[in-house]
Amino acid sequence: MLAKLMESDNKKVADMAVNTNFRSYRFRNDRIFFQKASLRDKKILGLIAKQTGIDVMQMEVYDCKQKTDLAGAALLWDTKNNQKITSLAGKNVIKGGKASWDFYRQLFGRNSIDNKGLLIKQYVHYDKGMDNAYWDGRRMVYGDGDGTVFTSFTNDIDVIGHELTHGVTENEANLNYENQAGALNESFSDIFGIMIKQRFNNQDVKKSNWLIGEKVLIGPKYALRSLKAPGTAYINHPELGSDPQPATMDKYQNLPNTNSGDWGGVHINSGIPNFAFYVAAYNMGGFAWDKAGRIWYAVLIDKSFLQNANFVDVKNLTIVHAEKLYGINSREAIAVKQGWAEAKV
Amino acid sequence: MKIKLIRTGGFLPITREAETEVNLSDTQVKQLLEVIQPDRISSPVKDGHYYLLEIGTSSTSIDLEKVPAEYKALFSKLKNDLRIIK
Repeated sequence: MLAKLMESDNKKVADMAVNTNFRSYRFRNDRIFFQKASLRDKKILGLIAKQTGIDVMQMEVYDCKQKTDLAGAALLWDTKNNQKITSLAGKNVIKGGKASWDFYRQLFGRNSIDNKGLLIKQYVHYDKGMDNAYWDGRRMVYGDGDGTVFTSFTNDIDVIGHELTHGVTENEANLNYENQAGALNESFSDIFGIMIKQRFNNQDVKKSNWLIGEKVLIGPKYALRSLKAPGTAYINHPELGSDPQPATMDKYQNLPNTNSGDWGGVHINSGIPNFAFYVAAYNMGGFAWDKAGRIWYAVLIDKSFLQNANFVDVKNLTIVHAEKLYGINSREAIAVKQGWAEAKV
Repeated sequence: MKIKLIRTGGFLPITREAETEVNLSDTQVKQLLEVIQPDRISSPVKDGHYYLLEIGTSSTSIDLEKVPAEYKALFSKLKNDLRIIK
């Protein structure tokens, strides 16, 4: 069929067929090569991150004392001095920061956020009652919450893992923070955030409830996001209404690329790739980080993963890496395809 | 005149608003908006909050860190009064 198309008189059809043929040859050969490749070969090729820089976690935690001046924040704790602290938020980010560092180091050989041993800086008690946590390009910042709708954003380890992963993404694919690329940026943070929590709690795909921020949003029925069932993290919340995340592509929300439009719905449409990951990981079984996490990490550090990637690009890359790591028609490759099919991407 | 402070964005992107009556001339408003204009950024802060100031029918992005001393109390009150808009 492809051979016939390659000989077509229609130049467009012929061009496309030649390109498809070329790509399938490359993928077939790549797969054969990677199935046979040793651990050393994989390390050389960057599939397993090289150890660089200082190979121990370095972290500093600062207290903003409910002000917004990060430069004026007081050092609360650092790895060098291991001070005794009383701040619960401080203790939370030390625990979450360590769990995140260990996750990346022990599973993927990654040395901190930049893979060069970057000092992890975390700022707690930022602003008065701020209901947020963010990554500003250099550090993680957490508010205490307003006390009525939200508690401290340090209360959930997945939120801490989410913010640290924004740093990892920035040092790898550096996905644009808008539209589908932005939703993928958010999704990678949610996916690695939930896996960091699952690993910390030794939870497999069945035991985990796949909720992000279940302690941050006050009330036993509420969480910030659900990877298992996007759109159900909070329903009929008296202040927030209902979770607007879609789980499938047919419900994708076209929002304006402005600050009030959440940069094209980066925190909204992330529900779609989140759900694809959940289905893939669940169908693989066991611990999410063992196989699904390895595939998604291989995509994150893949040099062909572009800043303006869309959902289909990530779907294709996850399939390629699942087949490279586990083989064509492997349970893992099939699970990845099922994940994206369920998310209707 | 009525001014409204609007906060958007965040880990959970919600909108909060607060408004108050102020006695400012058009020149004062113009000068204030010039001073609190945010710097151009190459990429938005991941999970960051953003502030807008609405006066009449137009709203402008602002940087609260740039609010001059004489307006600190006004903006501090507005910030404390921010309420979630569903």
